[in-house]
Amino acid sequence: MSKPAHRAGGAPKAAVDSDICPVCKSSRYLNPNMKFLVNPECYHKMCESCVDRIFSHGPAPCPIAGCKRTLRKMRFREQTFEDLKVEREVDIRRRVAKVFNKREEDFETLKDYNDYLETVEEVTWNLILKIDVEATERRLRQFEEAQKAELNPNVARRETQSDSSAPSDASRVVLKKGATQRKALSASSGNTPNPYSSQDGTEDTGFTFRGLKKRTAPEPQKPFDPYSGWSVEPQFYILQDDYNVEWLTQSKNDIQHLAGGYNIKDFYSQALCEAFSGFGVFIEDEIVARDRQVSGDETLATQMAATAGTGAKDVRMDDVF
Amino acid sequence: MRLTEDDLYRTSTQYKHWSFTPSQLAAQRRTTNIQASERVKAAVARQRAQRSLLDASASESERAGSGVENGGDTPVRVDKEVNCLTVTEEKRLVDVFCARALDLGKFLKFPTEVTATGIQFLRRFYLFNSPMTYEPQTISPCAMFVANKVENHGLPLERYVAVLPNMTTDKVLAPEYLLVQGLRFNFQVRHPFNGLKGGHLEMIEMARGNANLLPNAEKTKEQLQQEMLQLPRKPNGPAQSLSVAQLEKRIENAYGFASIVLKGPAQLTDAYFLYTPSQIWFTAHLLADEPLTLFYLSAKVPTSPIHSKIISTLRSCADLLSSHSSYTTDQISKEEKVAREKKEKEEVSALIKKAKHCRDPDKIDLVKLNLAQKRDAVAGGSLEESKAKRRKLEREGYQKESDDFWGPELKKANGAKVA
Repeated sequence: MSKPAHRAGGAPKAAVDSDICPVCKSSRYLNPNMKFLVNPECYHKMCESCVDRIFSHGPAPCPIAGCKRTLRKMRFREQTFEDLKVEREVDIRRRVAKVFNKREEDFETLKDYNDYLETVEEVTWNLILKIDVEATERRLRQFEEAQKAELNPNVARRETQSDSSAPSDASRVVLKKGATQRKALSASSGNTPNPYSSQDGTEDTGFTFRGLKKRTAPEPQKPFDPYSGWSVEPQFYILQDDYNVEWLTQSKNDIQHLAGGYNIKDFYSQALCEAFSGFGVFIEDEIVARDRQVSGDETLATQMAATAGTGAKDVRMDDVF
Repeated sequence: MRLTEDDLYRTSTQYKHWSFTPSQLAAQRRTTNIQASERVKAAVARQRAQRSLLDASASESERAGSGVENGGDTPVRVDKEVNCLTVTEEKRLVDVFCARALDLGKFLKFPTEVTATGIQFLRRFYLFNSPMTYEPQTISPCAMFVANKVENHGLPLERYVAVLPNMTTDKVLAPEYLLVQGLRFNFQVRHPFNGLKGGHLEMIEMARGNANLLPNAEKTKEQLQQEMLQLPRKPNGPAQSLSVAQLEKRIENAYGFASIVLKGPAQLTDAYFLYTPSQIWFTAHLLADEPLTLFYLSAKVPTSPIHSKIISTLRSCADLLSSHSSYTTDQISKEEKVAREKKEKEEVSALIKKAKHCRDPDKIDLVKLNLAQKRDAVAGGSLEESKAKRRKLEREGYQKESDDFWGPELKKANGAKVA
């Protein structure tokens, strides 16, 4: 209890490790509020005060011996799982799943989907086991960009434009590095081939999956049509712009009508429409044709009405009184 | 997805529910008449049975001889079979009250549309209800008032009641729901007045030679104008040549006559049930100036199967409109007119008298029936009178308080106010 550092064995040793910061060696015994943080870049643990001390002035290399990765304060976080390996795997899987977000209905056959899942799993394990990380990461990025471009070509185009003007993530990190490193990085970034165009001219999307359906962007919304495509097209008249008759001149120039937004053309169109609406409707033919469909033998209806008439209720209407 | 004017008309309730062929119309009137007379007879028989139970002690001779008082105003001879109105009598009665409604509209200075709508409401209502069941005297003021609301004329009820003799707000409002239900809640009535204006506008433009022509027109604007100027006065008369101003005058005269026909005979006949508003105004114009209307029609519908069909429809409608007595009033001599009016008056008063004898005793006092429907009704018997009265007072008090600036007093939780 008093000297936990001298104890031997697996589990107690882990407990001891977790209680002493590997950077400043301060222990929880002295500082009960001590909090350990990790950075998903290298998953080395250190206490909160160390993170503050080392990284508050910008990105800096990891203080653990042998680890040269550049870390940034913003990305430090408390670990979720006790086992850091699990923590890392979960992070990787989350990232991969974000890029490979296809579902079964996106593929033509089930076999294609299964092949796709296998490829995804392979990529994941490559990253977890650190096999061929560089190449895999690049392909992953390319695939993500290609997906984005496919969904919305405008966004991809805009991003390539802004990349050329604004400094990228990588170049900003370089600012704090030594001169030699900076030189090497700038040289490499200077002649990076454009990831969007490969040698044979077709776009390199990182991964190609057989049977993957082409994603189509949703159609842009059409302007709203309140009549849902219907329109009134008169067959018996053509509306004129103006009709000159004496009895209309007064209301045509009436300031009260004009101020109220009254348009004399509305009157014209309504009057003309009413003049001919029903012009070619022959009630005698149409009503009979209509009622024949509904069914209704008149004599039968009369008989029924006579029998029903003895009751207090109307046949076709509920009596309020 | 194009709609023509005719399709627009086919969407209206007037076309869907209130257009009939003549035979349908007659059948419906017959049905209504049969129903109503059966009901009147049954109701009278029931009343007699009740009374004979009550008057069991009264002597036979007295019962047979004396008139039976029934609610005060329907004396029915006990042993006589009720003499119900026939279909024609019913129709005549409705026509009489439509004519009276026309006068009422003139008296109230209602716009044409309001009066016309009111008359059509009456006609529609009495297609499915008999004047024996509901008296036209009670229904017609209500129909006019509803029309006044529907057509946005906005004469307040108080003013409406004030100008009419022997009228109360209750009397106007009591049959309102009944009427509206009888109209199947179809408030829109399509009138030919606006259509006539539209046609008039086009004819004037045609006379000036600058009317827009239909794409399939055979003649040019100038040709049309020339032909129009040479139209004969009378059908088959000699051709003449007018100046443009004279032609315009002619069109205006035709418009004036046609609008008179639309306001009078078109309202007082079954034209609205049998024809579309467009056909009605064409007919009125045809009656006013036949060569002009036929010319206009041929410019619109160049000889096609529909042309002859329209002409025949218009002719039959013209027969209907010109058959009405009000159409010929101006053409007959004064003595004849007076004699006819006198004869009509006698007929009508006899008819009204007869109608009074065969009214449905259940439906006489609509005001009382309406009141019985309301929430403070005592007649139902479910509530005791004192209880109903107390509730009414409470509610009125609460309503009065809620009109106060700060609203009504809040109910206290411990029941201090409840007690």
